[in-house]
Amino acid sequence: MHILLAAVRRHRLPARMRHFRENATLLKFLLRRLGGWLLMIVIATNLTYFLANMFLDPRSNYIGRRPPLSEDQIDRILDSHNLNDHVSIWSRWWTWAKDIVLHWNWGQSPTGDSVNGQVSYRVWISFELVIGAFIIMTVLGIALGVYAASRQYKLADRVNQAASIVTLNIPVVVAALGIVLLAVKFNQSVGHRVFYVTGSRSADVTGFARIGDTAQHLVLPTIVLVLTGYAGTQMLQRSLLLDNISADYVRMARAKGLTKSQAIRRHALRTSLIPVATQVAFSIPALFTGAVLTESIFNWRGMGAYFVETISKNDIHGVVATAAFGALMTALGAILADLAVVALDPRVRVN
Amino acid sequence: MALTEYEGDSVDTVEAVEAGLPRRKRVSRRALYTRRFMRNRPAVGGLVIFLILVLFALLGGQLAKYNYLDPDFLALTKGPNGDHWFGTDQSGTDLYAETVHGLQRSLIIAIFVAAGTTILAAIVGASAAYFRGAYERIALMVIHFLMVVPSFLILSLVSNKSGGNWAIIALCLLAITWFYPARTVWTLAISVREREYVTAARYMGVRGFSIVTRHIVPNIGSLLVITFTLGVVGAVLSETALSFIGFGVKAPDVSLGSLIGTGADTITSAPWMFYFPAGALTLLTVSMALIADGLRDALDPTSAAGGRA
Repeated sequence: MHILLAAVRRHRLPARMRHFRENATLLKFLLRRLGGWLLMIVIATNLTYFLANMFLDPRSNYIGRRPPLSEDQIDRILDSHNLNDHVSIWSRWWTWAKDIVLHWNWGQSPTGDSVNGQVSYRVWISFELVIGAFIIMTVLGIALGVYAASRQYKLADRVNQAASIVTLNIPVVVAALGIVLLAVKFNQSVGHRVFYVTGSRSADVTGFARIGDTAQHLVLPTIVLVLTGYAGTQMLQRSLLLDNISADYVRMARAKGLTKSQAIRRHALRTSLIPVATQVAFSIPALFTGAVLTESIFNWRGMGAYFVETISKNDIHGVVATAAFGALMTALGAILADLAVVALDPRVRVN
Repeated sequence: MALTEYEGDSVDTVEAVEAGLPRRKRVSRRALYTRRFMRNRPAVGGLVIFLILVLFALLGGQLAKYNYLDPDFLALTKGPNGDHWFGTDQSGTDLYAETVHGLQRSLIIAIFVAAGTTILAAIVGASAAYFRGAYERIALMVIHFLMVVPSFLILSLVSNKSGGNWAIIALCLLAITWFYPARTVWTLAISVREREYVTAARYMGVRGFSIVTRHIVPNIGSLLVITFTLGVVGAVLSETALSFIGFGVKAPDVSLGSLIGTGADTITSAPWMFYFPAGALTLLTVSMALIADGLRDALDPTSAAGGRA
């Protein structure tokens, strides 16, 4: 909450928004929205807690151990992590919820790892992967959409549309593994390793070399995310801009003497950007879901990979933490969508 | 979207005859849609590819020399050859037989989910719009609540527990996908419910549920056709993602996703284990998307994408 408000304060805002801040209307509006989303996050997280307890069984992790553990020993281990299914679910829930509210402690995995510790470094790995891809795919999607719309039904537009339909429907797994294959071939033909296909960084690299090393690891997963993600924005931007290009106010702008590209940029584009911005903001949680597969394939130890690991290891508290993270991203996307509309649409008054 | 707009054609013909103009042959609605669809070359290409894939899934098993359950221990991780057309995997299972079976599995799940989604969305969305009042409010509340629930996570939990039973996976997929189209159907149906023929039917004493199924749902048919085709794409993508990370269809059963998952580990040493299932999967999703695109243009009376008709 603080981060968001601070961000609003720090950045240079359009005059209209600065005006709102003075009235504190925007702040009130934001606070109301934040409250609503906070409630949603709490509900989603608790729901996941009960579902995870229904479907995951940490006890089964200890069955078939050599040497075999006695029932008492298993109970003791599970008790120490608040995962014992012989204890009433309500009392476990109370302990779990109390720890989060009072100590911001999200519990432990069946092996005793702290969920907080895992999430705190994995979040940054996920962000490192997703943020660059998000910016590239948004800019590329909007640029290609504008380019295609201003050449409707010409060859460039047709090629663009065909490429969009194909890339939008290539399964992420196929795209990722295909790119891995190409990169491996490229590395072999060049003779040394240009692209890394696993991990987020090399362990032995320090200092300034870290930047280059990170880039070498980042290129391939970013290509995958951009390739499978840009087309949604491109298609929406194209069709919305086409709706606006023929509108009266754009023709008026041409009549005043603006060139076609000026008229599109200054008038048609601005109107058509509003729904695009909303969709882009709402696609943020899907981006992290998409990263589940990308992270698994490229062996990044981010939140997506954590999601897969926790479910397969019956790590109830870890699963709940990923659900809370997902809900938080949904809320963040929705709030960014609201802010984008306020910033772009002169007709919107936030009171 | 507005299927009824085309009824005007017959009136034109009558007027044309009365005015002594050369008689224009009346084009039936289905013929019109077919003609508009057939003019869209990518869509026709998609349809042909899709039909070939369906035939391959249904009849490809007849040609196979091996069963997908019987490993050939004399050929472990062998590339494509005369005996094993698509090669074999680490346990010696014939990849051709596995691809045919996996395609079948993915197709069955996708068609079940897409059909179920379309029917459920049509009935819930249209009836919520028609009956209004508390029923509409509750239906919308349920839909909005389901939208914020972490659905992919729940899907993973439930289907992982099911031990790879495809029917349960299909049911879970249905449970987490039906409400998005239901919301869209509702938006469209609130304008259809204001039409005169709906009011007329009500005053004639037709029961509420019959009005929904006989008068409202058919008039949003074009939306439902597109929901179905896009539903197939979405279901295939979710199912393969789920099976790839190991929470979906599990051995001994195979789907395209689980096949790609096995192939991923040996992608550089045995790439054929990735090529064939990935090729089938990509052809399936892209062809279905092309069909959906063609249908959208064919069914939309205002679309000018393919010329006039």
